[in-house]
Amino acid sequence: MKRLLIYLILLSPLVLLSLQILIFENVVEPIKYIYTVTGATATVILFFTISISLIRKKINLIKYRRLIGLFGFFYALLHLMNFVVFDAEFDIIFIIKETIDKPFIYLGMTAFFILIFMTITSTKGLFKKYKKQHQFIYLALILATIHFVMAQKSISILQLFYIGMIFIIAYCKLLQKIVERNKS
Amino acid sequence: MNIIKKPTWDIKASEVTPVELFNKRRTFIKLGAASLVASGALIEALAKDNIPVLNLQYLKDKNINNLKLNTYEQITTYNNFYEFTTSKKGVEDMAHTLKTDNWEIEIDGLVEKPMKIQLDDLTKNFSIEERIYRFRCVEGWSMVVPWNGFSLAGLIKFAKPLSSAKYIRFETKYDEEMFPDQSRGVFASVEYPYVEGLRMDEAMNELSFMATGLYGSNLPNQNGAPLRLVVPWKYGFKSIKSISKISFVDKEPLNTWQRANKREYGFFANVNPNVDHPRWSQKRERVLGKFLKQKTLMYNGYEKEVAHMYSGMDLRKFI
Repeated sequence: MKRLLIYLILLSPLVLLSLQILIFENVVEPIKYIYTVTGATATVILFFTISISLIRKKINLIKYRRLIGLFGFFYALLHLMNFVVFDAEFDIIFIIKETIDKPFIYLGMTAFFILIFMTITSTKGLFKKYKKQHQFIYLALILATIHFVMAQKSISILQLFYIGMIFIIAYCKLLQKIVERNKS
Repeated sequence: MNIIKKPTWDIKASEVTPVELFNKRRTFIKLGAASLVASGALIEALAKDNIPVLNLQYLKDKNINNLKLNTYEQITTYNNFYEFTTSKKGVEDMAHTLKTDNWEIEIDGLVEKPMKIQLDDLTKNFSIEERIYRFRCVEGWSMVVPWNGFSLAGLIKFAKPLSSAKYIRFETKYDEEMFPDQSRGVFASVEYPYVEGLRMDEAMNELSFMATGLYGSNLPNQNGAPLRLVVPWKYGFKSIKSISKISFVDKEPLNTWQRANKREYGFFANVNPNVDHPRWSQKRERVLGKFLKQKTLMYNGYEKEVAHMYSGMDLRKFI
């Protein structure tokens, strides 16, 4: 039941996005909109994934952490595919040049490569071996946040709110680590 | 030899509909439309695109480049107007707080006679024409808009600047009641009032336009009512909205986006596919309503009209 609910919730942004673009056709700037929806969804899911241990006393989702994290990767992949397929139209030279040239893009790319590594090593066997390296998620999230901020022409009150949320989660995580360390 | 150069948007006097005939035709069309109510098809078609009743009389643009117009809906529901919000889709709903009645324009600085003038008293000096222009935002999206208004050169002649005036500086109205973001202090998106400027030769260019309407109706608030600048060869942020002050000055004005980030935005902001924004490419653009991108043209397709003003300038330096 819980698993089905997770699927429904995490697939809904993709379903809504597809409906808006393909059926209602009410999106004026589709490529930009796909970036916004997939990027925001990936970031929110990944921040939620690292927050699962924070809320486990209220709702225990530890069992589904891998599934939720993989959904985060899935949206990040859609985000990158939007760049490759629709934005750059498979112009490989342009993609490479932009990736090297624009800090905004190489930070995003680096975050994505960290996610690929985590996805590959998320199987039971490999996770045991690479558990420690999975701490890189924090680096990926920092990079993704900078990437998001850099994509804006200027920072508005709404974006400040997102950034504020991110700091609150980061603060809670840090607090949790300190408490755990003191216990052991 | 005196050669009169016809601008690309020029129309022959013989093609202009006289006002009386125009009005007669309009009455006729209205009657015709009324008789069609039963079938409803036309009304439905008009309502579908939400175009308000046409209230401007103007000289039509022949659209010799065959530009495909964006719809009224696209143009009026996707706006950058940071005085309200940075959400392009959010502007339309918030823009009702802008009150344009009894709008006053202040003209000052290096002019023969500084003045404050009601917008209506100003615009009645000019005949309204249509200009179908490409509009390219620095963010990478673009559209084609049928503006209505008058040439900036006409306004400048009316204002009678002194020969010492080298630049023209525009200011958006500052009124915290009308524009919520202006009261946000350090949390505001940019510094207000919004400021833009042009070099005098740019301002006098035949393309520089003061818009009071689009699609034949008064400008909707979200598009910068009641008076905005349109400089189609420059990135959209140069086309300052809801102007309340025009000053003639001898020094280059510090425009809002240059003040916000000098490294990324300059004074000129000419559309140039060969010079990237530091954070993103400017080679191509997303036309509103289209899925795939198209190539961005040098000076947004107005090279012939404007390139001569920048010959010898390093376009990588003067962004």
